[in-house]
Amino acid sequence: MKPIQPGECVRIITSAEPAVRDRSLDEVCEAASLEELLAECDALEKFRRSSSNLYEQVRALFFLYAIYRFHLPGRLSAGTGSLISYAGYTNLLNRRFNEAIETFLSAQQNGNPDPSLASALAAAYKGLGFQTLADQVRRSVRSVRGNQWMFRAGHSSDSGLKLQPELLRQQPNGLYPVLQEQTPVRMDLTHCGWSDIFFLGMDFPEGAKVLNVSIDLAVREAGTGIPAPPVEAYLRVIDEPVLRLTSVDLKASADVTSVSEVFDFARDYLGLLKSAVIASGLVPPGMEGSTQPLSALLERLTGKTGCGIEIVSKVNNIPKGSRLAVSTNLLACLISVCMRATRQIRTLTGSLGEADRRIVAARAILGEWLGGSGGGWQDSGGVWDGIKLITGMAAGPDDPEYGISRGRLLPSHHVLGLEEVSAATRQKLQDSLILVHGGMAQDVGPILEMVTERYLLRSRAEWAARQESRVALDRIVACLKAGDVRGVAEATQKNFDGTIQTIIPWANNLYTQTLIDRMREAFGEKFWGFWMLGGMAGGGMGFIVDPAVKAEAQDVLQGIMSGAKRSLQRAVPFAMEPVVYNFAINENGTFATLLSGDASLMPPEYYSLQVPPLIRLGTAQLTPARRAELEVFNEACQNIPQFRSTVRGLFDSMLPRRAKTVGAAKLGLHELLDLHGFDRRHHEDIQAGLRSGRLGMSQNRLPSSTLIEDVTAADYLDATSALPDRLRELGEQAITQGQIAVVSLAGGAGSRWTRGAGVVKSISPFCRFAGKYRSFVETHLAKSRKVSRQFGMSVPHVITSSYLTHDAIEGYLQANANHGYEGPLYVSPGRHIGLRMVPTERDLRFAWEQTTHQMLDEQAQKVRESLHSALINWATRTGEAADYTDNEPEQCLHPVGHWFEIPNLFRNGVLSRLFKERPQLRYLLVHNIDTVGASVDPALLGQHIERGAAMTFEVIRRQIEDTGGGLARIEGRPRIIEGLALPAQELEFSLSFYNTNTVWIDLDALLKVFGLTRESLDDSARVSEAIHRMARRIPTYITLKDVKKRWGKAQEDVFPVTQWEKLWVDMTALHELQCDFVAVPRARGQQLKEVSQLDPWLRDGSANYVGQLCDWAE
Amino acid sequence: MKIRKAVITAAGPAQRSIPVQVLVDHEGVQRSVLAILIQVVLKAGIEQICVVVHPGDEERFREAAASESCNLQIVTQQEPGGYAHALHCARGFSAGEPILHLVGDHMYVGLETGGAAKELVALAEAEQCTVSAVQSTRESELHAFGAVGGRRLASLPGAYKVENVIEKPTPTEAEQQLLTPGLRAGHYLCFFGMHVLTPRVMEILGEQLQAAADSRTVTLPTVLAELSRHEQYLALENFQRRYDLGTPYGLMMAQMALALRSPQRDEIVYQILDLFSDKELGRRGGNLL
Repeated sequence: MKPIQPGECVRIITSAEPAVRDRSLDEVCEAASLEELLAECDALEKFRRSSSNLYEQVRALFFLYAIYRFHLPGRLSAGTGSLISYAGYTNLLNRRFNEAIETFLSAQQNGNPDPSLASALAAAYKGLGFQTLADQVRRSVRSVRGNQWMFRAGHSSDSGLKLQPELLRQQPNGLYPVLQEQTPVRMDLTHCGWSDIFFLGMDFPEGAKVLNVSIDLAVREAGTGIPAPPVEAYLRVIDEPVLRLTSVDLKASADVTSVSEVFDFARDYLGLLKSAVIASGLVPPGMEGSTQPLSALLERLTGKTGCGIEIVSKVNNIPKGSRLAVSTNLLACLISVCMRATRQIRTLTGSLGEADRRIVAARAILGEWLGGSGGGWQDSGGVWDGIKLITGMAAGPDDPEYGISRGRLLPSHHVLGLEEVSAATRQKLQDSLILVHGGMAQDVGPILEMVTERYLLRSRAEWAARQESRVALDRIVACLKAGDVRGVAEATQKNFDGTIQTIIPWANNLYTQTLIDRMREAFGEKFWGFWMLGGMAGGGMGFIVDPAVKAEAQDVLQGIMSGAKRSLQRAVPFAMEPVVYNFAINENGTFATLLSGDASLMPPEYYSLQVPPLIRLGTAQLTPARRAELEVFNEACQNIPQFRSTVRGLFDSMLPRRAKTVGAAKLGLHELLDLHGFDRRHHEDIQAGLRSGRLGMSQNRLPSSTLIEDVTAADYLDATSALPDRLRELGEQAITQGQIAVVSLAGGAGSRWTRGAGVVKSISPFCRFAGKYRSFVETHLAKSRKVSRQFGMSVPHVITSSYLTHDAIEGYLQANANHGYEGPLYVSPGRHIGLRMVPTERDLRFAWEQTTHQMLDEQAQKVRESLHSALINWATRTGEAADYTDNEPEQCLHPVGHWFEIPNLFRNGVLSRLFKERPQLRYLLVHNIDTVGASVDPALLGQHIERGAAMTFEVIRRQIEDTGGGLARIEGRPRIIEGLALPAQELEFSLSFYNTNTVWIDLDALLKVFGLTRESLDDSARVSEAIHRMARRIPTYITLKDVKKRWGKAQEDVFPVTQWEKLWVDMTALHELQCDFVAVPRARGQQLKEVSQLDPWLRDGSANYVGQLCDWAE
Repeated sequence: MKIRKAVITAAGPAQRSIPVQVLVDHEGVQRSVLAILIQVVLKAGIEQICVVVHPGDEERFREAAASESCNLQIVTQQEPGGYAHALHCARGFSAGEPILHLVGDHMYVGLETGGAAKELVALAEAEQCTVSAVQSTRESELHAFGAVGGRRLASLPGAYKVENVIEKPTPTEAEQQLLTPGLRAGHYLCFFGMHVLTPRVMEILGEQLQAAADSRTVTLPTVLAELSRHEQYLALENFQRRYDLGTPYGLMMAQMALALRSPQRDEIVYQILDLFSDKELGRRGGNLL
């Protein structure tokens, strides 16, 4: 390890020498002392403020983030008591990163460096880094020539666009011609380690390379199975002064009459069409905020008073999340049709020229930014034809990026001709490759952020992998040119196994690995290789096989996917049933046709959507063009095959058929409620309270006059460093004597883990330990096993469950033979259930407007606000506090908080059985399922025993991400308080400790508080009464949780729903219960609430800490 | 290179009646639009003028030009083949010489002394090349004009070397292909309806018309774009006012502009204000005067 030289980090950033510039930050920091690191931070902070080069600023910001997040904490003492300033925190949430940084730095200078402040600084530097990057990409998008004018056009008279005359000529049959655009989607044979992320391409153009193929698709089991361009767009003039937007596949249509509505993206499902309308310049982005009528702009575009434009989008049966950039290519398709119609592209029909393709791609990037989403620069590859090599380009003096970034925003596309990849090779590729959608629902966003971060830090292994990925691409291209498809497969498999997972381990998952392993088992040598599509595996994927077995392999793979999904669907989120596609390489790219005469109709599905309201309207109210269209449509229904089936769709749409009875195995909502002991009266009380305003999120709070203070040193015990040996010995003795059992709380829905997807978090294979994917349950069992083996006494392990998780956990344990756990293992079923409710407007506004929350980047925030307004409308329209029933029955129920999970042990007989099996049992260690570092630590147990407390709660020093209450002195008495109950949010930041929800319980003391004894546990009436009595003393919190509703082709909507819960920490408010509080190391107490926490948790050594606590019995 | 000849096109079905309209010019004299254009041309030093007209319009145009004593030749465009084709009809007149070309439906106010036409001819003669008069135009108006992109010539004030020409570009195309340093953001150099064309232009025009299935697809910008690939082609920026007489109220606006430069200016202003006062403010209960 080389000692660090002062200013070394800045030198790395500014050096032109690749050997210096590409040094790993980790390597530089390894040997540095705390003082040296702090000096480097000072130098970096000064440098990033003085540098005028944006990319230097960004790299400095990420260096600062990494030092504060990963390198400093290990060198700091566990905590000096510094608090995170609330003002800094709110600046952070409001994206005022520079102010937040100044506040935190000032606190650091006034006190001592501290892990809490380091976490806050890390978050602020990271936020500013990504914000700076996003700002730069946005500036680049706006400065692309051909895009700039749209930001200057603020009035309809500023628009210089006119529709093509061909589209404005009304035909003898009364119809206007229809311009149809059909576009393939793209698949990437390799993306060189996500090098298609804009920032990577712009900073490291020489490393940005993608092999990208335009393809037509068909789901194998559906329709003809003949591949066709998956996305289509239609545009025509209409005789009404409106912008009519229709998404055929999302079954949504709207007549837009104002400019503001065009910019209201989340109001309906037409956000993508609106983005295309804006990005194509039809309604230029500069018009946002204009109050002029849209009709004035339409009149200018069409040159006719009273005329408008209709745009229709259609996705041909391809589900969302296919990793084939369907939405980007649909956006490009829509933009292309709009640009052709307004003569921005000179060719009205046919394929596009290179210059036109580039401007369509640039506009698609703009459209994605407008819609608050973002893909990679290769995503609009479907605009081009065939197989192309897309490469990053260095910015030249004529480029707007010159002097700002090393590379251009838009890459260069080289379409590989038949002389480079022969027709025979293309056919071979089609004969060997099986494209599938594995069905998993995934969010690739965090992966892309991780890639960017690692690239900037040049982490050693990842940087080496990035270099390898360039070699992998060259090899794949060489194989294609040589006609060696097997070689391609070997290279993509190697790329996936090595390069991709070295850069981002989370790109793979248990489901994908299962598919690969089973395909290999089934086809041996004839399975040539796996190939990941897009940002991560699990959705769209490729399997390359010997052409001789392709048909068979398609069937087998369908079976493997369906089987694997069945076994994992309770553990990981699936958006749909897996499908196998047929595909063909598309050699046209995006292609337009002018439909005229009696062919000037929209696609058949459009009429299923549009005709029923027109029929209800009556012919007298139809415009002449609509009447003419219905006549032509009527003819088409009789004469054109694809229109014939539309009539039936029309009837279905006008007279919806009664829902078919679901199979007997699937219970309805009411049956589920009955089965799980739903308390209707309590539910109605809550509904009445919500409606009257007696209950609600603001009523969760304690009175503002409550005295809330931070704890003093006398209020808690400190176990952040080693405890005395006597305590450890006392604990060891108790373990050896069988006095302790572990309870893992697993009844919750884990809403934040999958944003309400309804999967069972406890059995989610969340991380690889010892070479295998492990679930939370398996991890906790492995810790109990290690303690059991160490002390020669099996530790009983209880996993609590609820209506949502019980069957899944039992099934999981059965399928995995309890993971070989030797000790007593119980699943403790829940006995309480709630029915979700539609939220009140008051609670929605409280949550979104009166509490601080993380603002998003500018455009994404606009979309979010538009969505909030739509959801408030939904809530008031549906009925505030009404039963939430418009979803799968399981998604309408909710667990009622973990307070019930302990008393459930009394009620369901589990504790009684434990006492019978092990009368010496005296203590429980209870922890959340996601507190993976919690273990039966002998010294902590010894301390709990020695002090004779009824309960000992573990707390950790608060860091920036720890929100939701903590340890406080309430009216002079220490207790844990929930964040929901704090009278003001800022109070939380005056509390030094955060609750881990890990608690040591003295069983006899607890039973006593409930008015029970070991013996009375068998008296169910007495137990019920005791629980009921205690429950009344525990506050009921009203909360909002996200719940997903799935529909259509893997579409998902997230709704906020109201539910209520009681929480165990409120037991600390009971005066008769003696509670202790103990500060523990962060690695022990940290909870994994969100998937995005996994990566830093793995990198900061916490995962390693957990791994050392486990015995996998292998 | 000496420019002695001028061609005025006036054969378009929509424009054929415009040059024969009579206006009161800046001297207070009634003259046809054609006569006013001929005056502009003559002041630029042109000796022979050709007007391309629709068949049957010859006499009307002769009469419209009668007030001016000049060497006038009328040529007919036998079939409606578009603007570029009309210009090509004058190839016999140009006979291998460079020409000053004006469109018959534009009125240039402020050019009474020759102005831009004279400067255009002078520049073309000095530089021995085709020169188009251009005007900086806002991007929202691009759909009405041919436009050029290029770079300013430091040695020749107001002159640009043309690198690209597009007929009626969209703002998107203009931004990608016609950006000209030195202009305000969102402004492009658009044709002013006045050019000096070298004989090579007539040749390229002939070639393109011969190759085209439909002569209307050939435009002067497509010809000039081709020209710019072969020889120097300049543009000269003009700051005077042009009126497109073919647009609604175009003639009226041109007449007003002429009247405001005439000796009767004060009377005209008074009458306009009186009209405005009576008809507009009077209706709302107010009175300006």
